[in-house]
Amino acid sequence: MLSDGASPQDHPSVDEDEAARRYLEVVRREIDDEVRRRRASGDLPPDVERQLDQQFLQHSPLGGRSAALRDMLRLVDASVFIDPVVPVESRRPGGTTVKRGLRSLSLWYLRYVTHQVSEFATAVSRALHVLDVQVTDLRRKVDALAVPPSLAFEVAWAHNPGAWWVRVVTGELAGHPGRVLHAACGDGWLVGALAQRGVDAYGVDPRDQVASPELDGLDLRAEDLVGHVGALASGSLRAVVLSGVVEGSAPAERLRLLEGVAGCLAPEGVLFVHSLTPASWLDEDAPDEADLVAARPYRPRTWLGVLGDLGLAATVAEGPGGRDYLVTGRRAADVDHATR
Amino acid sequence: MKVAFVTPRYGLEVMGGAESAARQLAEHLVADCGWEVEVYSTCALDHLTWDNILPSGASVLNGVTVHRFASSSGRVPEFYELDGRLRAAPSEASLEESRRWLELNGPVTPGLVDAVAHSDAQAIAFYPYLYYPTVMGMEVVTAPRVLHPAAHDEPALYLEVFDATFAGADAICYHTAAERRLVQRRHKIAQIPQIVLGLGVAPVVEGGRAGAEVLGLGDRPYVVSVGRVDEHKGSSMLASFFRTYKQRHPGPLALALVGPIAASIPEHEDIVLTGIVSEADKCDIVRDATVSISPSALESFSLVVLEAWEQSVPVMVNATCDPTREHCERSGGGLWFGSYRQFEAELERLCDDAPLRSLLGSRGRAYVERFYQWPRLIDRYARFLTDVRARYDATRP
Repeated sequence: MLSDGASPQDHPSVDEDEAARRYLEVVRREIDDEVRRRRASGDLPPDVERQLDQQFLQHSPLGGRSAALRDMLRLVDASVFIDPVVPVESRRPGGTTVKRGLRSLSLWYLRYVTHQVSEFATAVSRALHVLDVQVTDLRRKVDALAVPPSLAFEVAWAHNPGAWWVRVVTGELAGHPGRVLHAACGDGWLVGALAQRGVDAYGVDPRDQVASPELDGLDLRAEDLVGHVGALASGSLRAVVLSGVVEGSAPAERLRLLEGVAGCLAPEGVLFVHSLTPASWLDEDAPDEADLVAARPYRPRTWLGVLGDLGLAATVAEGPGGRDYLVTGRRAADVDHATR
Repeated sequence: MKVAFVTPRYGLEVMGGAESAARQLAEHLVADCGWEVEVYSTCALDHLTWDNILPSGASVLNGVTVHRFASSSGRVPEFYELDGRLRAAPSEASLEESRRWLELNGPVTPGLVDAVAHSDAQAIAFYPYLYYPTVMGMEVVTAPRVLHPAAHDEPALYLEVFDATFAGADAICYHTAAERRLVQRRHKIAQIPQIVLGLGVAPVVEGGRAGAEVLGLGDRPYVVSVGRVDEHKGSSMLASFFRTYKQRHPGPLALALVGPIAASIPEHEDIVLTGIVSEADKCDIVRDATVSISPSALESFSLVVLEAWEQSVPVMVNATCDPTREHCERSGGGLWFGSYRQFEAELERLCDDAPLRSLLGSRGRAYVERFYQWPRLIDRYARFLTDVRARYDATRP
């Protein structure tokens, strides 16, 4: 019997929705604990559990999120012994006797073969268990070293339709055909401004933002940025606008994002990168993310080299007061995406 | 605005998820938006044989004009041999092999493809990606093509024959964000205009009887699983799990499998197979269930999960099915199981813990009310189609 566990009323200090979410997390942990306890107790015959789990996996996608190596190994372990004693039941008269005779005659041979197969399967199973232990250990170490995921952010003074750099971007893109991506799009403030000027724009944001009702008609998506860029067809975008993204992303992730963006720009396509300056990143009114991530913005001139390495001709325009800047990287007209 | 839908089966008798979804969208566009909608489909009711059952020609169903075409060939035994071979490593299959798979999968309907090519609709929706009418139809139409993939993580998704289908869409409509993640892992199409829409839940039509009475269970408690009773939908697995559960937890609890029967489920005193039931009976059965279980790993949306929540009934879903699991994670309206052990522990907990059932049910209901109501959904879809057409007009000379 499972315990009743915590109740939603155990968290009176937080709002009702958050309390319910926490309570459900507790319930799931209690259920997982109970599953582990019962599995360790061996209260279900292993062959029965194996048959049931094999039935479960029969039509499950292998890439499903719950697919854990340890669960797969349980099935391997339960299958390593190959039984040479063939069932002899038969619906035909005398069939059982005939089958039993055939089994007796061939058992010495089947035993020899199945013994070797079982030995092989056991060796493979052991190797997989060693692998599982090593992977688990490695994952623990990697988790400890992992850089926190980059956070998209917005600062009111820089990320709004009236900001100086937004006029530059909209002025350049208005009137030109082609699809334009804005990341991180927030509630769609820039996508909306671009759409009003006839630009075919859409937005992506890793935060699970909720678009305001009047912007609901816009193509806004809550997606991981690097994952999204990795799913773009080569040369498919006229322009990409990055704002509130690059300052806080780790160096490797930043480079992966920029490489992906450069690859999806069409010939003569443009990359706009809006960034706070390193000094602004340290200001008192900098976003909280400045303290939460192990990264800092590039200095403006660094972009010339970074985008140059990606095949983009870059220029930088600094904002008033030196608090932010806009990098514009242009792809040449004759770029061959097939060679990238 | 005039819109056309291309779907391999269409009609009140068709229980398939994608095909039912196409019908609901079509009918709501007519009823709620006043749009003109036509459908191009086959005469088939069975997706395994594609036998021509319904008469070919034009008819009107709930305000939607339906053009039916006989299929010249359906699935043949050779399909299963090729399918078995390709599903081991589908991404390694050659284009020729995957084209052959598509033809053998059926329904081969050149008449339908020709008719769609001459449609005067301003946008054409193809639903789902998996079949000949979608793949061949998308190659010939001149109106903007809106692909509703209804994709599962299945071997066919990795066949090369579908690459052009996905890449060639002018817009894509997904059921869930999980479906989008799946498709974008396979196809580089993130730049294509898209929407994550889902489906609306129809108002409950109660029959006024107790669910156990409809099932002939007296006053016994029961759990329910609604949908086609099919090996591939996890029905056999669920029946096996439940039989084992009852061996280990004797008592009055029963399992009701509600829907057309396409699998052989061994008889058991605690398992009721209803076959097809009326909408009112289904609502009564679901409303009084202790838990609604969706055992399928291959869903791109799962309306039955939302229908259970609409009646405040908690759900259990297959943990390897990303869309149904996403529903549960976002809503907090259900639990997910990835093994018999988990199934047993969750079912036991839910049967014993009424406050937990109530909490899950109420959160599920709130989720349905917030995201899956028809008036708002069909309005979003209509605006999406209008934008697709406007973008199409703006980008073509």
